[in-house]
Parts: sequence; C-alpha cells; structure tokens
Amino acid sequence: MGLRDVIARVALGAPVPVFAVSGAGAREEVAGLRLSPRIELVDTPAAASILLVAGFVPSKLSAALAAVHDAMPEPRCTVHWPLGADQGQLPTAPHAVLVGPDQQAVEVLTHALRALLTGTRPSEPAIQPDLDPNPWRGLGPYGQGGSGMTGGTPYGRPLAELAPDRDGLRLDLLPLRIGPFFPRFAAGLTLEVTMAGDIVVEAGAADSPFVAETPTFTARPGLQPFLRALSEPVPLAELELARAREHLHWASAALISQGLPALAARVLRLAMRLTPGDASAVDSLAGRLRHLRVPQWSSSGVGPIGRELLVGLGAGPVARAAGLADDARADDPSYVTIGFEPIVTHGSDAGTRWQLRLAEAAQSLNLAVRAGERRIRPVGRIESPRGRLEVGSAPFDRLRPLLPAILSELEWGDAVTTLVSLDLDPEEAGAVSSSTLRMEAA
Amino acid sequence: MREFAQPEVALAAIGLAMLVGVYLVAVLDHLAGAVVAGEGVGWRYAFSTPIRSAALLLVQERRSTERPDVFGWALAPALLVALAAVALAMVPLGPGMVAADPATGFVVFSAAIALVMIAVYLHGWSPNSALALHGAYRYGAQALSFQIPFLLAMLATALPAESLSIVDIVAAQEALWNVVRQPLGLPIYLVVGLAVSFWGPLNLPDATDLADGTSVEDSGIARLLWKAARAALLVAVAAMGAAGFLGGWWGPWLPGPIWTLLKTLGLLLVLIGAGHLLPRVRIQRFVMVAWVILIPLALANVFLSGALLL
Repeated sequence: MGLRDVIARVALGAPVPVFAVSGAGAREEVAGLRLSPRIELVDTPAAASILLVAGFVPSKLSAALAAVHDAMPEPRCTVHWPLGADQGQLPTAPHAVLVGPDQQAVEVLTHALRALLTGTRPSEPAIQPDLDPNPWRGLGPYGQGGSGMTGGTPYGRPLAELAPDRDGLRLDLLPLRIGPFFPRFAAGLTLEVTMAGDIVVEAGAADSPFVAETPTFTARPGLQPFLRALSEPVPLAELELARAREHLHWASAALISQGLPALAARVLRLAMRLTPGDASAVDSLAGRLRHLRVPQWSSSGVGPIGRELLVGLGAGPVARAAGLADDARADDPSYVTIGFEPIVTHGSDAGTRWQLRLAEAAQSLNLAVRAGERRIRPVGRIESPRGRLEVGSAPFDRLRPLLPAILSELEWGDAVTTLVSLDLDPEEAGAVSSSTLRMEAA
Repeated sequence: MREFAQPEVALAAIGLAMLVGVYLVAVLDHLAGAVVAGEGVGWRYAFSTPIRSAALLLVQERRSTERPDVFGWALAPALLVALAAVALAMVPLGPGMVAADPATGFVVFSAAIALVMIAVYLHGWSPNSALALHGAYRYGAQALSFQIPFLLAMLATALPAESLSIVDIVAAQEALWNVVRQPLGLPIYLVVGLAVSFWGPLNLPDATDLADGTSVEDSGIARLLWKAARAALLVAVAAMGAAGFLGGWWGPWLPGPIWTLLKTLGLLLVLIGAGHLLPRVRIQRFVMVAWVILIPLALANVFLSGALLL
C-alpha cells in the first residue's frame, strides 16, 4: 500500500465536496443537502470532487455544464439526480452515476466519493479539449502587434479597454459573464457585466434558459401550488404555506451570500419542517437576525429601486418594500374575507426587502391558519412569492430590464446583494412560459 | 539580554504551534458552526473531519488555469505561512519561553502583518482569473485601511512597557492587564485582527459573493495550504492579542504557559464565533469605519495611554 493509498484511506470519511448544478425542479432538494454533515456544498468546481447535476438542465446550458465539469480536479465524477427530468442529453451523462427514485442522494454521493478514493471507479476524463477557444490574432511571439491587439478578441475574449470611471480616473473596463451556475444566483441566471475595478459599469441578465424548452419540465415543489392556481382551485392554506417556505428558502440563500452558512442551515431546517403554526418561530427568527444586524450591515442602503420604476410591474415583495401596495391577493375575495392586507414598507433597499420577506413569511402562516378550507378560484394570475404570475409572464421577465439601472455603479458585493434581494427566478419564468401550462390555461 | 531559541528548536516549536493551532481553528470552526446551526455537536466528528478533509485535498489534483503565474501561485501560501510563523515567533508562551525576543519584536510582528497584503494579492493575481483578482484588489483596499489602526492599537501596548519587545510588553502587565489599562485597545485590535486574517465578516478577498475570491481556482494541496495559512494567521493574531492585551502568561493558580494558551483559545473563540454570527461587511463601510472611527479611536487610545503614564 503506497502513501497515496494511506492518505486516501484517511480521506474516506471526509464530507463529500460537491459542486451542485441545481436545475429546474431541484432547488429545495439540493438546498436540503446542506443539512447533512456528510456533504459539503462548495462554491467553486475547483474545490469539488463530485459534480451533482440535479433536476432539469436545458440543453442550451450544455457547454457551461461541460466547462464546470472540466474545472473540477481529478479524481472527479458526476452524479445525476434527475428528480423526474430527462438528463440523458447532457454532456456529463455518459459517465454519470445515477440517483434512482428510491435512493438517498447523500448515500449515492458518499459512495461515489468512496469509489473514487478506493480506485473502484476511475476519474472522469475532460469533456472539452484543453485548447484556446480562438487563436491570438497579434503578429508577434507574445501576441503583440497586428490589428487584433486593441479592440480585438484574443483567444476569443474581448480586451479590457480604458474608460473614465466615476472618480474621474481612467480604468480598464472588463466585460465578464457570471453564470449560469454561479452559486449565489438561481440556476440559469447569467449576468453580463462590465466592471471597472470593483464597480459595475453595465449589467444585464440573459433570458431564462428554461423558456421555450421542449419537452416542458416539472417545476420544483415550492412553485407547484402557484402554477396550479393559474388553472385550478387551490387551497389558500397550501398557497400561503408554500409562500412562507419560499421566503425562508430565499432567506437561507441570502444568508449564505452574506457568509453565514450556519445560520442559513438553521433557517433552512425551519423552512423544511414549516407548518402553519410556526408564525412565532418565523417572527423569532426575524428578530434574531435583526438583533445580529444581518439585514442592516450587509444590505442597508444597498440597491435602492425608485418606486416609479416599479409601478404596475407586479414585482411582489420588491414593489411592496418600495412602498407600493402591489399585491394580486388584495383583489381576491378569498383573501379579503380573512382580513388580508399587504405589508408595505418604505425603504426600497435590499435591507428593506429582507425584512419585508420575513414579515410576509410570518403573515402567510397566519393566513394559512385563518384560511380553513377556502380555495382560491383561478383568474389567470396569482401572486407568487416573487410577484404577479401570469401565463407567459413572470416577475423575472419584468424585473430583468431594470437590472442595468439598478446595478450600475454598484460595487460587486453590493451588486450580488441586490440581485439576491430581487429573488430573480428563471425557473419560474420558464414554468409559466411552458406550452403545457398554456394549454391548461386555454 | 534578549533571548533567542536555537534555530532548530525555534523552528520545531513554531511548526508544532502552527500545526496544533491550525487544527484547533478547524475544530473550533466546525463546533461553532454546529452550535449556531442548531445541530447536535458531534465531538468525534468535529475532531476527525479536519484531518479527513485535509487528506482528501492531498489526494486531489492541483489543477491549473489558463496562463497562470505559476511561481506566484505556489509562493503565495508559503509566504502567508512564513509571515504567520514570524508573527507567532514573537509571542512568548511564558517567561523565557519564546522563539525570538528581539528588542524590536513589535516592529517585526507589524512588518509581518503588513506583508500579508503581498501574499494575498499574489494569491489573487496569480491564477489569471477575474474573481480571484477581484478578491486581491479588495484585500488591497482592506489592508490600506486596517494597517494604521492595527499599528496604533499595538503601539499603545508598548507605552507602559517603555519597550518594543513583546516579552517586555507582557512583563509590564503583571499588575494590570492592558485590556483594563487601555479599554479601547482590545476591541480595535480584534476588529482589525479579523481584517488582517480576512476572517468572518471581514473575509472580503475570499468571500462567498466571489465564489471564494482569491481561492476560486485553488484545488488539492494548494487549497489545503491556503486554508492552513489563513488559520495560522488567525492563531498568530489571537496569540498576539493574548500577549498584548490580556497579560500573556500572567494569571493565578495555573502555570504561565497555560494562561497564554487559554487566553489565546478564548480570543480564537471570539474571532471564530464572529465569523458565524456577523454578516459580511461591505468594503466601502469597512474603509469608512477604519478611517473615520477606528483611526481616531486608536489615536485617542495612544494619547490617553501616554497621558496616564506621565
């Protein structure tokens, strides 16, 4: 037994470092892995031994998925967790270990790492060739000179160019594409951003990759009640419980983006076992976070959005945090009879959106208790946890055009905090655009 | 006459202290995370996980990026470990128990801390990766802001001792610890200590919004070394805090070295706990707080300490 074998044997009980690609239908399942001490969800493929591909990943993200796979160090392997989706067309499929419907993902991931370390499973080869994407176009031996030196695209990438920044200096502008599997964003969200130092000069998000995919996919359980409510009566209590859960899942992800994974796990545990009687637990959580000054330190004054940009947009908590009583529930007789009134605050920044979502989570649980057996009647639109949802139109589609104005001039950390506070969800946008849903609505 | 241990003894002692310290940081971090998360504390798991995770990183490939600065990338963690070792070498465990006690121990420690910026910048620059470079820039802004309050907070501890030797600074606290004599000193030191060791709320260069920042491209042994170097730096900061403000080896009943270790452990717990409870501080806010609040407070601390000695 060589030294490597001895070290590998010691490593057998280590938490499994997993980089998770959480596709449509998988957000809650993947987040739940954080509660297992045997799994470590890492932020970069360089830190992972296993790539977990969960749920529905559209084929247009295949190249990005392959790049993530090849960025993992060896020994590496891929685990596919379909959760009802077809993953056969993905570039990682030929070598992937499969999590069956009756299997625990934690067990499969643990066994996969063990197999890698004991050598019973070979490390996966790279999917893409290790080549420059394009030739350098300069003439000299180091690429200098020639027409491609300035304004060209060396190795297929745009060159940084000087431009004045907000302080009157001239800094390099660096165009970057962040996503579609950046761990702080919802899967599928790709941000096209131009940076000057640490400042965002221009930003915009690409369209949801889940839109116009055929066949349609099954959205995650947390979205299901809202999608069903577009075309069939759904118990109000079920909707409000799902809303509270979605808000807590959001809070957990937001805490991770603030570097607080342990607190995030606490919130996640509450979200996963949430019942309508847990309003006081949610209030207590909100109080504790306020006491720790989580929303204030990280988000106060960050990413303000003017009310005028949000009028009539159906942007849900984002609009209500900015002082607009924009809530489709206020027009629904089922909600009116149980005394629903939208919670409205007047801060408009990311910190206010934090506090509003937590307040709405507690409000939703109280509504769920009061709702009894009431069902809401389908009227072709519903207030989802992110805003007004209609067939063919989701908050993601309506907030996306605002991003250049919202993110411009922000430091990168503030830009991430702002984006997280908007809770952009490409999966929701894809779900309401699906042909199946259109047919049901029709 | 200043004391210097034999080089081989000093190297062995510092190496051992760093190994144990890094391991303790990993264990405490795991335990603190479990407590904050509301999970049951699995003691056996907490003590075995750091070793197993380190072994896993050792068997991982050390992958590269497109046209990295290979030497800089390899040098950065080694430099950070070396700087942490130099800083730790200045901290006395007990009377006569110190790796090196130069008359300018305070200056040596401060110089080591000042050079941390070079190691972090090199670490972010070398992989030729946008997020890593962004993390490096952040630490530049952070370091320019914390250097002055850090030095001033430490400098005030030298006034009662009328010496720049760390051993003398501890010896001068026999009657009264500096944490009592200079109540502003320790809080300022701990805040900037988090910034120096880029830990918890002031882990801006390797932050989650940069997907690990300067470490985003690290894998295998490179990742292990960088994590270990960061933990070693945290140990050095905590140990110097114990020596400079909490009276080092002074304390009743127990032997002096035990007191030094207990106080270091206590400060480590505070720093690690802050990492699990306080959110990431915005870089603009930290820069503003450092220049507008911490520097004037640290200056006031120096003037008050000097005035009390007149």
